[in-house]
Amino acid sequence: MSIQLTLAARYMAGRKLRTFLTTLAVIFGVTIVFGLNGLLPAFSEAFRQNMLASAGKIDLTVTSASGGTFEAEVIAPVRSVNGIDEATPILRQNAILPTGQAVNAVTVVGVDPESFSQVRPHSLVLGRYLQAGDKNALVLGEKLAEEMGLKLGDIFTLPSAAGATDFAVVGVIATQGVLGVEEVYVPLSTAQAMFNQAGRLNTIEARFAAQADRVQVAAAVQAQLGNRFKLGEIEGGGQFLSALAMGQIVLNLFGVLALAMGGFIILNTFRTVVAERRRDIGMLRALGATRGMVVGIILAESLLQGLLGTAIGMLIGAGLAYSLIGLIRPIFEQFLHMSFTGRPVFDIPVFIWALVLGVGITMLSGLLPAISASRVVPLEALRPMVGVAAQRAARRGAWVGAGLIGLAALTLISGAPKAAAAGAFLVLIGLVLAGPALVRPIALLFGRLLTVIFAREGQIAQGNMTRQPGRAAITASAMMIGLALIIACAGMMSSMEEGIGRYLAKSMGSDFLLMPASLVLGGGNVGASPELAQAIRDTPGVQDVTTLRLANSEARGTALQLVGIEPESFARVGGMEFMLGSEAQIYQELRNGRGIILNGVFAVRNPVQLGEWVTLKTPDGERAYQVVGVGSDLLNAKAATGFISQANLAADFHESNDLLLMVNKTPEAEVTAVRSALDGLVKQYPALTVMESTEWRETMIGMFGKVVGSLYFVLIALAIPSLIALVNTLAINVIERTREIGVIRAVGGTRRQVQRMILAESLLLAILGIAFGILAGLWLGYSLVGAVGVVGFKLTYFFPATSVLIATAVGLIFGVIAALLPARQAAQLQIVRALRYE
Amino acid sequence: MAIIQTNNLSKVYGSGDAVVTALRDVSLTVETGEFVAVMGPSGCGKSTLLHLIGGLDRPTAGTIQLDGDDLSRLSDTRLTEVRRRKIGFVFQFFNLIPVLDAVENAALPLILDGMKLAAARATAAEWLQRVGLDGQTSHRPDQLSGGQQQRVAIARALATEPALVLADEPTGNLDSRASDEVAGLLRQVADEWQRAVLMVTHDPRIAAYADRIVFLKDGSIIDQARLNGTPLEGAQLVRDKVEAL
Ligand SMILES: Nc1ncnc2c1ncn2[C@@H]1O[C@H](COP(=O)(O)OP(=O)(O)OP(=O)(O)O)[C@@H](O)[C@H]1O
Ligand SMILES: [Mg+2]
Repeated sequence: MSIQLTLAARYMAGRKLRTFLTTLAVIFGVTIVFGLNGLLPAFSEAFRQNMLASAGKIDLTVTSASGGTFEAEVIAPVRSVNGIDEATPILRQNAILPTGQAVNAVTVVGVDPESFSQVRPHSLVLGRYLQAGDKNALVLGEKLAEEMGLKLGDIFTLPSAAGATDFAVVGVIATQGVLGVEEVYVPLSTAQAMFNQAGRLNTIEARFAAQADRVQVAAAVQAQLGNRFKLGEIEGGGQFLSALAMGQIVLNLFGVLALAMGGFIILNTFRTVVAERRRDIGMLRALGATRGMVVGIILAESLLQGLLGTAIGMLIGAGLAYSLIGLIRPIFEQFLHMSFTGRPVFDIPVFIWALVLGVGITMLSGLLPAISASRVVPLEALRPMVGVAAQRAARRGAWVGAGLIGLAALTLISGAPKAAAAGAFLVLIGLVLAGPALVRPIALLFGRLLTVIFAREGQIAQGNMTRQPGRAAITASAMMIGLALIIACAGMMSSMEEGIGRYLAKSMGSDFLLMPASLVLGGGNVGASPELAQAIRDTPGVQDVTTLRLANSEARGTALQLVGIEPESFARVGGMEFMLGSEAQIYQELRNGRGIILNGVFAVRNPVQLGEWVTLKTPDGERAYQVVGVGSDLLNAKAATGFISQANLAADFHESNDLLLMVNKTPEAEVTAVRSALDGLVKQYPALTVMESTEWRETMIGMFGKVVGSLYFVLIALAIPSLIALVNTLAINVIERTREIGVIRAVGGTRRQVQRMILAESLLLAILGIAFGILAGLWLGYSLVGAVGVVGFKLTYFFPATSVLIATAVGLIFGVIAALLPARQAAQLQIVRALRYE
Repeated sequence: MAIIQTNNLSKVYGSGDAVVTALRDVSLTVETGEFVAVMGPSGCGKSTLLHLIGGLDRPTAGTIQLDGDDLSRLSDTRLTEVRRRKIGFVFQFFNLIPVLDAVENAALPLILDGMKLAAARATAAEWLQRVGLDGQTSHRPDQLSGGQQQRVAIARALATEPALVLADEPTGNLDSRASDEVAGLLRQVADEWQRAVLMVTHDPRIAAYADRIVFLKDGSIIDQARLNGTPLEGAQLVRDKVEAL
């Protein structure tokens, strides 16, 4: 072993607690990065497996490039391609079952019995398969039949555009569901009637001839059909996977932040290491060690610590991944009906990523102290040790920090939201730099307060903390990042909660809503045929009705969800907030020709001007639409969406089912009376539920609250490194002042007094971190809320009072917890040994 | 042969009102195999002189020739190399690395110079034996007495076979018996191994082990004395000189 590593290992072993705490900081970050990265492939794998299991026998699928339906005649050119053995037309649609059933959704697959069984053979468990001439016959999977308690000959009612349709169960097959939604098979013509899609399909499945060259056949099919159609890809998969990728990025970000906090802890440790060993280092220099060697010794130590922490972090991370899988599996199997056999996958890139981050950040944090160690002159070895005198706060850092904060303030005043969001991170950096200079004033301010509680000990603690403003500031910085994230996210959340309430009132302002039980627009939900809306219009007590329809398209290379509205009634009953264009004019223009309102999500990605033309993919080719406005509503706040008239949606996208109906009653009508009338009408449409809007708004906000609640847990976990930072610093302080503590005890200080001294110092450090954290967190939150506005969702900042209190409480509790171990250690020092300590 | 030769060496600390002239025009020569003691009142510049000769600090004016090299002109890297290869240091505070044991401490300069670990350990162990410390080679510094620690430091100073050994009050922390042993060792270093030894001390009894004594006052050499009688006579001579100053 080289001398660098020997020295590093020996020094580390001599300071076990400190080594442990420093390593812990690395472990925490690596655990998150490694564990979660190992977990994610299991999810994508489970998903892929389920896709393959159900699609195992299918060689080729053909769907419309825009995602909608197409005319049944398309089957002919597919069949004509050389190498295609058989092709079968399919119309598949998700259907929400009425509440109270064992299963809440199925995929209705309308098939042509003969060709379908050629393409996708099934193994029959009971009864028979569908036959030509069947009308209301249905075949379903074994598992679904069991769950719903259905036997041969039983009636299965499916919601449809024309009201409910009854089917007789004629057969049970052994199949698996796609994406957790079980399939039921019905005759194609019946499905087309049910969904108001006479003569149309949305999928063709084909089987290749035995010796066909797969790639060539696929290319030939594509050539026959042209680019209106896409091959192979099973719909929905892409979205799911990109959501996973997004989740991975967010989790990695958390890991990196945790490691950044770890970096501060390591920085602190190595600064102390260097201060403590100035003499040893000076002597090594006197004996002829070069500067490079000195850097090497400190870096070797951080390398060891990084490797150790990374290794342990990987172990714990793997353990975490395995136990999380154990927790998640039942959820997948029970609620999503997906078989989940995945195991965590730790392949080379995951190892490399964890190693690079874990070791990299440790070494990087060791670098500055290492360089300062190499500046130690040999003469330092020869001067007798004169205890470490109080450090002076770094002036230059303070000025640079103040400059950065000033710059950030300018970006905030400038009103440019993106600049302000970037500025918020300048504040974080600025506070880290200015930290040491702020330690004294803050310590003096709160030290007074502590003196009230802790009497003399408080004063000593205050003095102790200001002796090492650099160390105190770094500790506070680690804590600041943790708490700032809590407060910033809380600020975002409460602003969004308030904003959503406001948006809901504006865009879902009707008295009643009729909507599918699970409200995800775009999920291929079954709606209702236009008759329902007409029937409601004719109901006494109803003043106004407007409906939303849905289709999928693509524009400028992005998937675009199209919402069909009826401009006149939508303006009265529904509504949205516009960023471009005047409201009255927009609705007017939507009715004449092909006009489109684009939402903020789309506009951010593809900046558009009023009057510009965008080309939309339709099932029948491309159509140009003119932009008449840019605005946002709540339902579609997450997806790129365009709003067009229902007339155009029917003409270009063949979609005339209502997915969501908004109803206003007359002022004099009784709520209960109108509601029961609506309930009566909707009975025929099990897919839809009637809700009073106020009730629905509350449910939505409640759901949002739950999501926020669970997010807080993650955030608080993220604050844990700041606890480690506190313990680490206090432990360092105790070690460094072993002799002083010995003197205090020798002249009659009690163990209790020593403990209270450490506790008071811990609390002061925590207060410093809390102060930094609140300032940075509010700033970050405020500018992030502004940045969200850029995405087309204007929010007003809402002061997160509760979270500021929570962060303060968490910080103070951490302060107390952190003091426990070091205080005990200090109190139990043997006086004689402490006095001899060097 | 002169191993060290300083020419009008001066060192000034601080600037403006706070200027301290620690050394003033010191010209000193030390021969190979010669044992020289430096004496003088506290603050007269003894340590400063040793630091300059040892390449730990740079002079304000004047030159230092060490074995042919002019130290004041060397880069930091070269100076480091000179310290590693040509000079051995023994300090008042023993200055051993606390986490290394006796052999490892003594072997440190060899290891720093790139010698293989096993070879370095063997050489160090040999030197420990020569300075009379063979029982406790695997003890850490805190498990050794002051005199034993100082022997380790001397072994360390000799391990690289340097041309010059510099010792700044090597007996300052030892009782009289241990002091005699350490001074005897340094005597041996000069006689048997033909190293030049430059030692600072306050103790006339210890200074008497040297061949020559240089007296410093306010940064200048004010007197020199060559000793050739018995140690007892030498000590008496030194005492007289010190009193005369
Ligand atoms: N780094 C420094 N900065 C300023 N002045 C210094 C420095 N080092 C030494 N001096 C001054 O230089 C003078 C000589 O110091 P030096 O350490 O050489 O004395 P000394 O003879 O070794 O004394 P002692 O016997 O007490 O060790 C003293 O006046 C001292 O105050
Ligand atoms: Mg001195």
